Amino acid sequence: MAGINRRRLLFGATLLSAFGLSTVASVADTEIYDAKTRKWVKYDRATARKMFARNGQPPEAFRMQMVKFRTAEKPGTIIIDGNQHFLYLVQPGHQAIRYGIGVGREGFGWAGIVRVGRTAEWPTWTPPAEMVARDPNAAKWAGGQPGGPDNPLGARALYLYEGDRDTIYRIHGTPEPWTIGLDVSSGCIRMNNDDIVDLHSRINVGAKVIVLMQGAALYKGV
Amino acid sequence: MVLRRMLLAAGTVLSLTGSSFAADMVIAMPNWPSGQAAANILKLAIAEKFHLDAEVRELGTMLAFAGMETGEVDVVPEVWRPNFDDLVKRYGQDGSKTVVLGERAVPAWQGLCATQDAAAAGIKDVADLSDPAKTAVLDTDGDGQGEVWIGATTWKSTGIERVRANSYGYAKTVTLVEAEEDVAMAAVDAAVATGRPMVFYCYEPHHVFKLHDVVRLTEPAYDPAKWNIVAQSDDPLWISKSSAPVAWGPVEFHVAWSSGFAKKHADVAAFLEKVDFKPDEISAMSYALQVDRQPAADYAKAWVEQNKGRIEEWGQ
Repeated sequence: MAGINRRRLLFGATLLSAFGLSTVASVADTEIYDAKTRKWVKYDRATARKMFARNGQPPEAFRMQMVKFRTAEKPGTIIIDGNQHFLYLVQPGHQAIRYGIGVGREGFGWAGIVRVGRTAEWPTWTPPAEMVARDPNAAKWAGGQPGGPDNPLGARALYLYEGDRDTIYRIHGTPEPWTIGLDVSSGCIRMNNDDIVDLHSRINVGAKVIVLMQGAALYKGV
Repeated sequence: MVLRRMLLAAGTVLSLTGSSFAADMVIAMPNWPSGQAAANILKLAIAEKFHLDAEVRELGTMLAFAGMETGEVDVVPEVWRPNFDDLVKRYGQDGSKTVVLGERAVPAWQGLCATQDAAAAGIKDVADLSDPAKTAVLDTDGDGQGEVWIGATTWKSTGIERVRANSYGYAKTVTLVEAEEDVAMAAVDAAVATGRPMVFYCYEPHHVFKLHDVVRLTEPAYDPAKWNIVAQSDDPLWISKSSAPVAWGPVEFHVAWSSGFAKKHADVAAFLEKVDFKPDEISAMSYALQVDRQPAADYAKAWVEQNKGRIEEWGQ
């Protein structure tokens, strides 16, 4: 089997074409290539945290970078590839700025076309009722946690709307930058704070957002 | 593609204000790029040759046919066949005879395409989709089974692609994904950008062929004896009752105009009969409007300027 394993990301370099290495069983996990040990390692929460502590930043593939990106979408459009943990902001001249993202544990559970309905700086986070019921930490903030460095929404939030309706999904920052590249949050798209601040500064309210499908089983529409 | 064009018709509201009072004729404009360019090119060419002022009105194929019957619409730039054969039958020479279909046709195509990375991974023929060892590279949700986009939920062609997947057998080995075209095309963009293999429903002329180096999957040739598609209107279970283990048959599209208009303006009808857009011109239109984002009216103006000779020939 040739080609890139969708979850395999090269650590310390750009994306690697892995020829004849991948197995079907391994694709369920995120894996990255550790240049130090020259081995593919499971990219789970513990590894991510350790690597982040060692390097002070996410693996290179997940860092903000300009990439070649041929598309019919106009500059300013956001394309989210939850499978590969990338968010693209389309630029002129068949290029895009690519950022690393963390996504929901079960993938997004949805795909489709939405738009940035509004944005907020250092947004307030209000936990959903079911979270308040099961999590005492969340219960503390039932009335809303003010924005700040510990707020789970991080430095900025882009609220995704379908028409004039808030979808309840957001692209937001995170106080836990090592979680970029993992499937951890619940349905939302998280970026590290520097990246979400950068993205926020470049987009306009109304920007088209395309969330790619991750298989029919997860495609439910927004 | 097919039903998309019908639904647009249903969703488009006629606006009968302002310019429509002044116009001498109405050209229906679909919402796909080549049709938009063609509608505007016809408007300008007819203005130049015949001094008729045409209103270009956003209208899908279904409503446009109904409009040609009532006399509200005069010209439709792209009528896809076999997609709209039911309309052609109902309004054409075998039906109410209110619509004339130009004899010239632009050859088109529909089927499955693979990115270069998918081809390099060994997916070149539709039979390869039935091999789970090959299609695992198409996995995008971590379940070990590949995904293939077969079209938008609302398209008629999507149902037929499902029939084909059942008939060939790859419905068992890959997950068939339905999503809006913009989502699928962005997925192709992202797949190409990261070297990830992808297989998807595609149709031509379409700008994706100019944007990316994609290849058509080979498959057994169309055989009318094996193409057994139960009409959707006859049976809600048409997909499970149909069978089509072969390639799509010949696809083409035509210019059409109303019989009433032809009586009133025989010279324009004769002109429309000679309109002969080439497939590469249609692709270029699609690319210019969709990728280069040129406004249809501007593109048409430049096209008419650069093709004065052609328009002259059509008018003779």
